[in-house]
Amino acid sequence: MAVTAPSLGRSPSRITPRFKLGSLLSQEVILALALIVIVLVVGSVNARYVSERNLTSIFLGNAYIAVAAIGMSMVIISGNIDVSVGSLIGVLATLSGTLAVNGVPIWLSWVIPVFAGMLAGAVIGFFVAYLKIPSIVVTLGFLSILKGGLISITNGEWIRDLPAGFGLAQERPFGIPMPIYFMIVLTILAALWQRYSATGRAIYAVGGNKEAARLSGISEPRVLMTVFILNGFFVGIASILFATQLEIIQSAVPAGVELLIITAAVVGGVSILGGTGTVVGATLAAILLSAIGSALVFINVSPFWLRAVQGLLILVTVLADLLRRRRNQASLKG
Amino acid sequence: MTTLPETKVLDDAPSLRDRLGSALFRQEGVLILIGIIALVVLAFGSENFLTVDNLLNQTRFLAEIGLIALPMTYIIITGGIDLSVGAIVGVSAIMLGVSWQNWGLPLELAIVVCILTGVLAGFVNGLFIVRVGVPPLIMTLATLAFYRGLAEGISESRSVRGYPDWFEQLGQGNFLGLPTQLWVLIVFAIVFAIVLARTTFGRSLYAIGNNELGARFSGIPVGRNKIIIYSLSGLMAGIAAWIFVSRTTTTRSDYGSGWELDVIAAVVLGGTSIFGGTGTIIGTMLGIVLIQILKNGLALTGVTSDATIVVIGSVLILSILINNYAGSLFGALTRRLRQTQQNT
Amino acid sequence: MAKKFLSLALILTLLLAAFASFPVAAQDRWDGADDLPVNPLDCPMAEGAEMAATEEAEGEMMMPEYDGGEPVDAPDLAGQDITLVDVPKLIGVGYFAATTQGMQEAAEELGNVSVTTDGPTEANIDDQIAVIDNYITQGVNGILFAANDPVAIAPVLTRALESGIRVVGYDANSTPDARQWFVNQAAFEGVAKSLVDNMAEQIGVDGSFAIVTSTFTTPNQARWIAEMQAYQEKCYPEMTWLETVEAQEDNILSFNQATTLINKYGPDMDGIFGMTSIATPAAAEAVTQAAVCPLASSEGAAASEDDAVVVVGLATPNAMKPYVETQCVERVVLWNPVDLGYAAVYVMRRTIDGEFLPGATEVDAGRLGMLPVVNNSEVLLGPPFVFTAENINDFDF
Repeated sequence: MAVTAPSLGRSPSRITPRFKLGSLLSQEVILALALIVIVLVVGSVNARYVSERNLTSIFLGNAYIAVAAIGMSMVIISGNIDVSVGSLIGVLATLSGTLAVNGVPIWLSWVIPVFAGMLAGAVIGFFVAYLKIPSIVVTLGFLSILKGGLISITNGEWIRDLPAGFGLAQERPFGIPMPIYFMIVLTILAALWQRYSATGRAIYAVGGNKEAARLSGISEPRVLMTVFILNGFFVGIASILFATQLEIIQSAVPAGVELLIITAAVVGGVSILGGTGTVVGATLAAILLSAIGSALVFINVSPFWLRAVQGLLILVTVLADLLRRRRNQASLKG
Repeated sequence: MTTLPETKVLDDAPSLRDRLGSALFRQEGVLILIGIIALVVLAFGSENFLTVDNLLNQTRFLAEIGLIALPMTYIIITGGIDLSVGAIVGVSAIMLGVSWQNWGLPLELAIVVCILTGVLAGFVNGLFIVRVGVPPLIMTLATLAFYRGLAEGISESRSVRGYPDWFEQLGQGNFLGLPTQLWVLIVFAIVFAIVLARTTFGRSLYAIGNNELGARFSGIPVGRNKIIIYSLSGLMAGIAAWIFVSRTTTTRSDYGSGWELDVIAAVVLGGTSIFGGTGTIIGTMLGIVLIQILKNGLALTGVTSDATIVVIGSVLILSILINNYAGSLFGALTRRLRQTQQNT
Repeated sequence: MAKKFLSLALILTLLLAAFASFPVAAQDRWDGADDLPVNPLDCPMAEGAEMAATEEAEGEMMMPEYDGGEPVDAPDLAGQDITLVDVPKLIGVGYFAATTQGMQEAAEELGNVSVTTDGPTEANIDDQIAVIDNYITQGVNGILFAANDPVAIAPVLTRALESGIRVVGYDANSTPDARQWFVNQAAFEGVAKSLVDNMAEQIGVDGSFAIVTSTFTTPNQARWIAEMQAYQEKCYPEMTWLETVEAQEDNILSFNQATTLINKYGPDMDGIFGMTSIATPAAAEAVTQAAVCPLASSEGAAASEDDAVVVVGLATPNAMKPYVETQCVERVVLWNPVDLGYAAVYVMRRTIDGEFLPGATEVDAGRLGMLPVVNNSEVLLGPPFVFTAENINDFDF
């Protein structure tokens, strides 16, 4: 299995895969429970909160954040971080819109940015994996470079007159908005891949215990390259969902998106120390954040206090996760 | 079992002294080199750049980030991080304004409230990180939202204005020919540098960053020291808030937003490893100065802000890249040297 | 162990106490209060023509007493080539790209002016101060600015005046004595009146509405909302003001917030105000996708008139064309940002040429004709413009 070498001073939950699986499941259960509690409580205060329309909105609200959080989870599990995703989303969304208005076939203007995202991921991955520069340094640098570059080129002009049919995120097959399909399908595929493929499991090994990973014949640079290219892929898809939701594209970098994506990943139970967590938790966390944002408006929390309450709730979720892990540890010790 | 032990697996664990020595030798050298090149190029680019007036004036802009970067260096050396510093600046600044104008405290007392708010905010971070075992990144990510939210809530998003003239001296005045806040920065930088390099407390931070479990076993009060550095981070954010309010003569709840990344960039540029265990205050100060030189010098030579941030991003990556290669070169040289010594 | 829990409990109690002592669940809606006096205009019963007349009369009655600042020992550059820098709130957004375009037009027309636009990459006051400071050191002849905060920007602008640099503001003002003139795109009370009147016409004088704004700390938005509140209370006391939500300058968040409002109030909400050129199109998209557009012929038409949600807001015509075309949105209020930038450069040129001195009542602004001076040291661009399906295609910004 992925992590077998005994590692000194690590939390025991990382030692045996079976145990890890059990504890991860319950992290997702915590998030799901939190989601249900919020829906029930707020729904009892205002029945419109649980209307089909609002529930759809809650799932739709952070769908592109959830898709990007899948990639971010993998990056964090591998022991790295990417703070440049917000800038990259801005750049790729602008690229997509620019291609579409210049007569490139619509499907190509959806696909090219995804490949461009993977290319960007490959560049970042190369710096991290082969040139051995810490990912926070590389991505801090890329954050500035991408943002400055985008402003230099576009000046923030709106992209408009997008061709009919470009609005992928506005499609509603069977009455459900397209981004929700993307979120669910990609989460399931990524979770299966991480669980059953050798490379997917190797990510945990690289993030959890580099030495053990090396000893068991895992090529760390190759795994890291895969992780960053995949991250670029998910950011690419997220940027298409971002670009196609409205009739216009603001060719600018959306503010604070990277923090939201990282928050979704860590609230989802991805340990920032690397080595544990799943993408399912991250997606659930993204939905939870959306539900909280909506709930606070529904129960008339003073808008001034909205962000404070949000911060407190994030803290509570994280604390619940920690307490659970602590308990697991204690029960393991017997 | 009080906290989760968090240790890093060291790929190769050179002695503390080696790491310190080579860090001193490396990143500071790279930064000074880049700095000199930048100074020369920019001085040719604009005659207004290399003047005493301009350079002194620039120190007003780096003081706040510089002050926060000092404890951030400590925190990153221990392998931690503090993303909430910008939000602490916001909430401290708001407490200054609100306690003065709404609660009617004398301004002197309001300044104390401002700084204490910072300390308390940092202390809460430290307490949860140490006593509950919340990873620093997660804790401070949550309090980044929470403290900013407090700033918005307490102030109801109103600005506080109309500070008296004496209050504005700190941010806009001069003392003995230098901008007042430069003195504050210099004094704190010296204190932080001496504490880091010359005290057991300072040395313990490297030990924690290198091997926390080991540090614990060797009797270092790991928990206490961590709480101290996060509180220090809050303290300096509070002081920075005071200076910033004094400089801008008003208080807004969005003060300090985004500063966390500027501070971390400067610390990392200064050669502090994000994985912990290495780093110096001199390096951080050089990092701060280099970024400000670039921002100012490029602007004076007619480069606009968008292009400037591209340059700064590239310098950040390149300097660490050079450092890595210079480092391995240095390592190879010393190994060769040692071998020759052994052979003879 | 016990000690640990004790300290934890202590902290949690402190946090809870902090919350309890502040009105977390306050019902008070945010009305942009920033402690400045509001000045609601007359109600529309008086009809437009009469309105304009009274305004003009007021202008003639009181001699403007100049309250702007003066540069110290400014060189006489009348008729000579000048170099200006334009420092908007931030660069890389559509709105300020349009003002930049207007400035370049004016510079080209005048022939002896060159303007560079440079500003912070985020709407941060500290970055903006640093940018202006750099241009003071570099030594430009004039600075055009749109302030992120009226007070915080004052010290650096005063420093510019002291260095003999001319300073003219546009879009977002500073304290008056920190600059010479401010080109006001439209009086705050005028914008508020136009927005509320247009909303009332569509949802009725007893309708209910909510507001999507950027942040509570954005000075212009705060002033508009404060004036809207005063004007609504004065002229439409029967209207229901539901709530104001923040959505940063983020189009997806604006979309989500507008959707949440629609879901929350259902048929109890008749209209949404968008306070930024990002919030308004996002609100229109939310209304379209929720299928609550007011007009039956539109794409996302509401099932019944009761469900319909009217969107009125500040936005650039280009961003709103799709929604005006589908008839989901009827009216968009804005001034012309290209004209605003154009006027700012003209005001600066006239000031430097000595043709526009303190005490003047109007200024020659090229193709815009003579613009009046209001509020002692502000140049008024004109009344806010209302874009409708008939005229929106005549504009490209």
